[in-house]
Amino acid sequence: MSIAKKMAPSFPLVVALFLLLAYPLSLLFARSLQDANEFSLTNYIQLFTDNSHRRALFHSLILSALVASISTLICLAPAWLFANEHFAGKSLVRAIFTLPMSFSGIIVGFLAVIMVGRIGAVPQFFEKLTGTAYTSGWAYRLSGLVLAYLYFEIPRATLTLESALRKFDPQLSVAARSLGANTWQRLRLLILPLIWRPLVSTFAVTFTVSLGSFGVALILSKRFSVLPLEIFQQITGYGNNGLMAAMAIVLVLLAFVINYSARATS
Amino acid sequence: MKKTVLVLISSLLCSLGYAQEKVVIQYDCIPNYANWGGVTAAYTKETGVRIPPDMKGSSAAMAALEAEKSNPQADCAYYSGAIGYQAATKGLHQPYKPKGWEKIPDSLKDPDGKWWTVHTGNIAILVNTSALKGKPVPHSFTDLLKPEYKGMVVYDDPTIQGTGFTFVYGINALMGGGADMNAGFDYLKKLDANVLNYAKDNSYNDLLRGEVPIWINADGNGLKAKYVDKAPIETVIASEGTIVMPLVMGMVKNDPHPEETKKYLDWCLGDEAQKLMAQSFFRPVMKVDLGGKVQSEFPPESAYAKAKTLPLDQMAANADAVKARWSKQIKR
Repeated sequence: MSIAKKMAPSFPLVVALFLLLAYPLSLLFARSLQDANEFSLTNYIQLFTDNSHRRALFHSLILSALVASISTLICLAPAWLFANEHFAGKSLVRAIFTLPMSFSGIIVGFLAVIMVGRIGAVPQFFEKLTGTAYTSGWAYRLSGLVLAYLYFEIPRATLTLESALRKFDPQLSVAARSLGANTWQRLRLLILPLIWRPLVSTFAVTFTVSLGSFGVALILSKRFSVLPLEIFQQITGYGNNGLMAAMAIVLVLLAFVINYSARATS
Repeated sequence: MKKTVLVLISSLLCSLGYAQEKVVIQYDCIPNYANWGGVTAAYTKETGVRIPPDMKGSSAAMAALEAEKSNPQADCAYYSGAIGYQAATKGLHQPYKPKGWEKIPDSLKDPDGKWWTVHTGNIAILVNTSALKGKPVPHSFTDLLKPEYKGMVVYDDPTIQGTGFTFVYGINALMGGGADMNAGFDYLKKLDANVLNYAKDNSYNDLLRGEVPIWINADGNGLKAKYVDKAPIETVIASEGTIVMPLVMGMVKNDPHPEETKKYLDWCLGDEAQKLMAQSFFRPVMKVDLGGKVQSEFPPESAYAKAKTLPLDQMAANADAVKARWSKQIKR
């Protein structure tokens, strides 16, 4: 079969991608290079020199990296379990476990307020137990933001990793053991090299989703601003479309670079 | 068989309301603000025209209208006065003078009908007394600076919500500040230590639950919480005074349903709508008989003795600068 024939089925997708991705992005890019209808780099200069915008960009990177690292680490255990073990009711457990993934950010934000808000369920429980309302008001601080992100990112990471781990043959580990490899050797020489790629790509997916997530921060964050929230505030607060477009382009580029380099290096 | 399926599908669509339903789109139509939920429900009951809820605050509504300028999606919008004035200045409204327009005082409307007041509110301190856990009810904005209220105060993000903007702008006058706004911003900087969150969405339900013990918002929302929703909410008119906030509407330029919209805007100034707004304790712009019960539930006139009315044109002209200063100095 010729290459053209092989590509034919994906042709509609390419067209759709162009219409839904390339076209709006190019409009956005054009807008980001305009100031008062003239070509200008003002918006980008403002983004990288203004303290609050620069900080939001930095916060976005730190928060996403933190959330992606923790999720990737934590999801190892459930992903391994779902991929390699068979037990009764497994698909039900998996369906429940991965449910938070489908909640919108704003809903997760409200959930965080109910759980670790000023009078959330968790601080009230601690108050009954110890007399002090530990974790009260966490929802509005960085700790609450990270918890809320983890809530929907761990399930996503688990699903991503699980499908990759399915390809891993547990018999290999048994074979290595019978050849005399100890636990550490099996981990270092066999398992880690095999699951390294899936781990990195799980990290990349989690990172980019966190980078673009907005609803959680909208509901929770008192001060800690992230780039998607800055974009929202530029439109709603000031109608500054140029700066908004520049921020969006930077966000898209970041997501692309992280995703691409993660896959290329692993 | 085919026919049955078609009939089934079309009747399903009809029942979902896709086929005949008439709508008027109002930006900033928050059900728990000024009883818009009740007001719009009454209109739908009477006319069959639906006005879907819309959670955008004033500034968000204006921004949306601006973004959709070439292809407007909304028919009308509701704002706190200064932002509505600003939206009209930006050319986002078309002139319309609804029925009864001439009875609105001149200071509360645009001479061309690009915006007009539907009711007024006052910036007040809404307190959930049971969430205070024995702490005294604050009586002034200065009281709110006391360390005992740490993490208990919420006001709306002024870059999104018009009520938050009116407070951030108006507190300067209540603190005796001048045109440089320094007195107001000094106060807001001190208040920051006690602020739980700068809410970007409506905090009415959080106030009822006690998640938010003290919400700086319009007096009417606090009175409704107490008398209609029977929650332990005190509405405190601060001893420094209060800011009178006209709440205005305007008709969107090139809107999709102009005929239906005009009827709706007329109705909003009519007896029934004005009474419904009054029953949720926003002062109707038209003279309507409130009935003794509602009248007695409003705080006494003397509480409002120090109410200040700020010129909307100045507020609108400085809006962007004040929002930007707030983002830099308070939210940081």
